[in-house]
Amino acid sequence: MANTDLYEYPQELREEFEATEAIQFRDGSQATAADVWHYMTEVAPKKYPYAYTQRKYVDGRMSRDIHLPSAIKHNYLLLTMNDRINKSRENGSPVIFVQGGQSVDPYYAAGGIALRPASVGMWSRGRHEGLGLNEEVVRRHKQKEKAYHAISFEACQTAGYETIQEGGLPVDMVAPFTCLRCSDISYGVEAHRHGPNKTLKLMNIDYPMRHQADKQWAVEYFVQNLRRLTSQIGKIAGREVTDDDLSKEIRLHNEGRRLAIDIAELWWSADVPPTNGLDRRHILQMGGMEIHGDPSASLTILRESKAYISERVKNGIKAEGVVDKPVRLFICGSCVRPNDFRIEEAGAIIVGNDNHWSDICTLVKEDGDPYRNLAHAILSYPYEQSVELRAAWTIEQLKKSGADGVLFLYQWGCNTQSAVARMLCDAIKRDTGIPTMIIEQHEGGSEQSEQLLNRINAFIEMI
Amino acid sequence: MSLKRNFFAGVDVGSLAAKSVILEDGKVFATGLVPSGFDSVESGLNALNLALETAGLKKEDLTYIVGTGYGRVSAPYANKAVTEITCHAKGANFLHPTVRTIIDMGGQDCKAIRIDQDGAVVDFAMNDKCAAGTGRFLEVMAGVFKVKLEDLGALSLSATELVPMSSTCTVFAESETISLVARGEKPANILNGIHHAIANRISGLFARVGITSDVFFSGGVAKNTGMKTAIEEALKVTIVKPEIDPQLIGALGAAVLARNFSKKQGLWS
Repeated sequence: MANTDLYEYPQELREEFEATEAIQFRDGSQATAADVWHYMTEVAPKKYPYAYTQRKYVDGRMSRDIHLPSAIKHNYLLLTMNDRINKSRENGSPVIFVQGGQSVDPYYAAGGIALRPASVGMWSRGRHEGLGLNEEVVRRHKQKEKAYHAISFEACQTAGYETIQEGGLPVDMVAPFTCLRCSDISYGVEAHRHGPNKTLKLMNIDYPMRHQADKQWAVEYFVQNLRRLTSQIGKIAGREVTDDDLSKEIRLHNEGRRLAIDIAELWWSADVPPTNGLDRRHILQMGGMEIHGDPSASLTILRESKAYISERVKNGIKAEGVVDKPVRLFICGSCVRPNDFRIEEAGAIIVGNDNHWSDICTLVKEDGDPYRNLAHAILSYPYEQSVELRAAWTIEQLKKSGADGVLFLYQWGCNTQSAVARMLCDAIKRDTGIPTMIIEQHEGGSEQSEQLLNRINAFIEMI
Repeated sequence: MSLKRNFFAGVDVGSLAAKSVILEDGKVFATGLVPSGFDSVESGLNALNLALETAGLKKEDLTYIVGTGYGRVSAPYANKAVTEITCHAKGANFLHPTVRTIIDMGGQDCKAIRIDQDGAVVDFAMNDKCAAGTGRFLEVMAGVFKVKLEDLGALSLSATELVPMSSTCTVFAESETISLVARGEKPANILNGIHHAIANRISGLFARVGITSDVFFSGGVAKNTGMKTAIEEALKVTIVKPEIDPQLIGALGAAVLARNFSKKQGLWS
């Protein structure tokens, strides 16, 4: 049974919202702001009541900064994920499961849709309608537990693999960049190799590790991998993929990346935070062009958001619910993060993170061989370099964002980030004096445990 | 003409006990300590009311109240909530301004806190995933030996030798203890081993934050003399003697902060 106490968008906002931009989709269709308003006020509350929870600290709760169009449009795209991905598949676009923190230009160039684990989770969530918050959380936990059984209880982001293995999601191929920042990719690939769903194509895009971008062999090797990838997706999509297809796609994704960088710089330059931490993260994450399963849609929102953030910064408008001079926290590490609502209540705000920001910040050269350019860019991701290089890049981001403290969070069982955390934090502390705290997180809840809250609040008080 | 008296209260609602301290003129005026119940709001109020009753005051007589501990998130009676890490720092500094390192062992977690001369936190580390080094762990052990929790320390200090313990996990340590008793080891010697195992375990927290003298031991477990001795041996330090019940330090720090916050807000001068 669904929860009855649901959030409602204020009707008096309708006119203002309906005057905003339409979302343009990759297939040429669009959703006008009126379509979005209708869906978010009439359709989605019935289909996905959990998304409208009024519970204050729920991690997936929608932003209440309703005058920021992206706050509603981003959620519209997440809640329509199932319908949109199904439609795109019916129209011949294969869906490929990829890894977090990687760019997705080549997948789209070949006519596919690339979804990272979190987006696969969102797609899967969209297939279960009418659930209240607790019912949805229980469903998600059950899936995660099944994945622990099937893969390893030491692995973290595994539910996506399990859902695909079970046939719960019509994914057409599993093709992540391997050896990329995450130990669970190997768990996942092995689980897939040994799982029952043998008909699903598996392709590893082998990633030469650490500081290889200037090595000829590594670039050539990765180019071969990328060509293999686009050719395979092209076969599934029934089309031949040209170099020009990739060049066009790189230009499109570069625009998204540039917009995200511009918005971040605007945000960081503001005297008072122009958005809350949740909206900042959502907007910047769109620069990865993956989160909505439609880069064109993400691009529409990014363009509009830049104008809005610009205006707010120019006029010194502070986001609602944020204190005047919050403690500015930068988040390091993958896959988990602290609760924005709790952070802001404690008088702080999250100003950035290194995780997806690493690939968003890596622009791809647009002249010359697109495969070589892309391979070189991908092998340059700061997050994937030696700790020394990663620390140097992180320190640069800390300075740009005006961070007062660093929280390094990683999921329990993450062999990669747990090994890096201490070295990276020591380097940051040594070179900047900025206080750091490492948190290993293993929580199934949606509102953050007392223990975690206690640590983070004490850290904020200390700063 | 008589000047208005100002009273400031700190209420620390922990997992096992709720504590309160009322300050006046930089002195502890009254305290209250009650077991924590299911309802953390009620527990905090019980502790506060006990201190008010002892002091002969009413809640309206208090200028400012700071809530701390795990129950601080639901403390409608408090003007402000602060974590117990900050409060233990302020409380220890209030009693002993020369303290620079605090070991706080409470009912459900254990913390190493390094502070400066003003009682501000410089660094801290917490053990909040494992019950080793917590009051709950010692409660379980007291249950195994069928002795009162407050008698564990003295019993441990009467040991003639140390029985090594291989586990500090509450569940495994309980079964290991039962095996050791069955093997004929003396309870005092086993307890000596348990206290040293825990002390060694929490030493790791100090490897991260460092130790600078003076060292202070707060929290309910600080009343355990066996644990105090084991920690002194493990960390090679001398722990300063508190003038008040070490379980009240968090509440004391909250009361100190209540005084500071209210002064900043111009509620008194």
